[in-house]
Amino acid sequence: MTAGPASPARPAGPGALVSPAPGAAGAAAGQSCPVLWSLSAHARRLLTLAVAGLAVALLTGRPEFAGVAAPAVLLLAGWPARRPARVMVAARVTAQQLVEGEQAAIVVQVSGHGDLAIQAIITAAEAFEAGPGAERRAGDSAALRVPFRARQWGVRRVGRLEIVLRDRFRLWEGRLGLTLPRVDCHPRPAELRGRIVLSRLPSRLGEHPSRAAGEGIEFAGVRQFVPGDRQRRINWPATTRTGTVQLNTFTAERTQNIVVLADATASVGEPGATSLDLAFRAAAGTIGCYLAAGDRVGLIVYADRLSWIGPGLGRRHFHRLMDLLLGSKPGWELSAALTRLPKAALPPGALILVFSPLLHPRLVEALRDLRERGFSVLVVDVLTAAPAARSRDRVAGLARRIWRLEQQAIRFSLTELGIPVVHWDGQQSLDEPLAPYTRRVMLAGQR
Amino acid sequence: MTGPADRPAGQPGGPALLSGTARDRLRGTAAAGLLAAVLIAWAAIPAAGARPGTRITVIIAVLSAVASLGQLATADLTVGGQAFDSLPVRIAAQLVLLTRMLPWSEILIVAVLVLEALHHARPWHTGVLGVAVLAYLLAVHLTESGARPRILAGQRPVLAAGLGLLVLAVAAAALPQPGGRPGELLRVLAVAAAVVAAGLALPVIRR
Repeated sequence: MTAGPASPARPAGPGALVSPAPGAAGAAAGQSCPVLWSLSAHARRLLTLAVAGLAVALLTGRPEFAGVAAPAVLLLAGWPARRPARVMVAARVTAQQLVEGEQAAIVVQVSGHGDLAIQAIITAAEAFEAGPGAERRAGDSAALRVPFRARQWGVRRVGRLEIVLRDRFRLWEGRLGLTLPRVDCHPRPAELRGRIVLSRLPSRLGEHPSRAAGEGIEFAGVRQFVPGDRQRRINWPATTRTGTVQLNTFTAERTQNIVVLADATASVGEPGATSLDLAFRAAAGTIGCYLAAGDRVGLIVYADRLSWIGPGLGRRHFHRLMDLLLGSKPGWELSAALTRLPKAALPPGALILVFSPLLHPRLVEALRDLRERGFSVLVVDVLTAAPAARSRDRVAGLARRIWRLEQQAIRFSLTELGIPVVHWDGQQSLDEPLAPYTRRVMLAGQR
Repeated sequence: MTGPADRPAGQPGGPALLSGTARDRLRGTAAAGLLAAVLIAWAAIPAAGARPGTRITVIIAVLSAVASLGQLATADLTVGGQAFDSLPVRIAAQLVLLTRMLPWSEILIVAVLVLEALHHARPWHTGVLGVAVLAYLLAVHLTESGARPRILAGQRPVLAAGLGLLVLAVAAAALPQPGGRPGELLRVLAVAAAVVAAGLALPVIRR
């Protein structure tokens, strides 16, 4: 198997630069940022002890209370005279593109802070998990590296980076904040190794052996030699046995067009494993798997508006498809229908793999229509949730049963039309539900 | 369209990002809790039944000690914040918010000093209390910042000077009174002036 987009070994580049917070006037990555100085919590407590001790001493006339205040007064007197009003900050993200669960880091370089210690902390946005803040002692010039991890796919800002400058005794704290950039977080691709191959393939050079004879490497049979055939393909044992010159024939190797249809009209289920999450993870896995095999893969996202990219090849195409997945806005599609899609989006003879919870009646109708137009369609049902019913509520229980029957009827009607429906729960490999169709050639366009 | 080479990728996720500091924080919180208990007990026991207001001051001190420990223990914790949190999680989130609302350690310090002032203990008693308060403040500081105790090494001379002044103040308080209120006030002012002067002189000496 060739190394394909499924395992994108993308080289590390310069990374995205971190932009300053709106409040940080006139600052950018690698530029001077203003520092807001304030007393630390430790200094406030020492100040409280000093003031309270002296006040109690004066009010009660007991000098020992002034002595209680003495260590605090002396510790407070040790604060540094120099507190820079601005420092130079250069920060970047090590990876602008992540997959769910992957880890990256913000690399921060601060200069112009003198002998102050630096701490960098990420306040992560909801879809990210921040690692422990990085700390640098006074006088150390190494860059700070604060790790974070992506928890959920999407294009989102990582959060906010806070840099805290501290003096030697940790009495003063200077703070400055930077807004971290957006990061593309791809859905974690579902594991898929087996591929569905149609019986009829378009006449484009590829890697799947087709039924037609051609210039491939897979042996197809033996036939009699006719003038013009290449002599190197003569099958000598067969020639000796039959007495006439026999020739080996080989299958033609063809590519196939795959169209992945990801249904983003509904997102039901547990957070992190909703039908939308599962549909996009399965779509990402499928796209990567088929592109790695040299197939031409297209994508249709059925969401608040129908967006599509026609079948294509290569790593760049993989990223285009991923960008389309991430850029789609989930919601109910009201206007466009699949029938309006051009041939570029749905080439004749393409295999259409649908990842959907099958909750949107218009999509179900569209699938029936596609089947009637002769497309080979396979549906991967990603619905893992059902309406909750309280145990004593009979009406709710009945409604739940009716809902289940409706869902079964939808799946049954699709199967009757010749659209196989398999269920994927998001836990197992996608190979398991697809096994009956990946083991042998799928008959194209047959009902 | 940006090429893949322009878009560097992340690394596969390893173990949990947050680890290791929880035990240190727990240890620091326990030390601060022990010192807070010692402080309250030391200041409250001689004051038992001494003056009105003692009981309420003890209650305030105990509450603020508990809240400050809660503040320390939950400093790194994020409780709730989701749209559909359960009732116990929402109550816990409110409690955490409450502990973070006020500077409980400062309230504890003031309460303990007031408690000490409510009874006429010997000067050395107050001196010991001063040392314990300082130890409590440093324990809270180390726990809160996650720093190692060796970070205080640079402050040893300052701490020694402060403790020396404390001993001098206690000794001054233990001397026989020259007579009447004016003499007492004069002695307090002298000690306070010595403390402030030392504080002002310190930066000059360090330079």
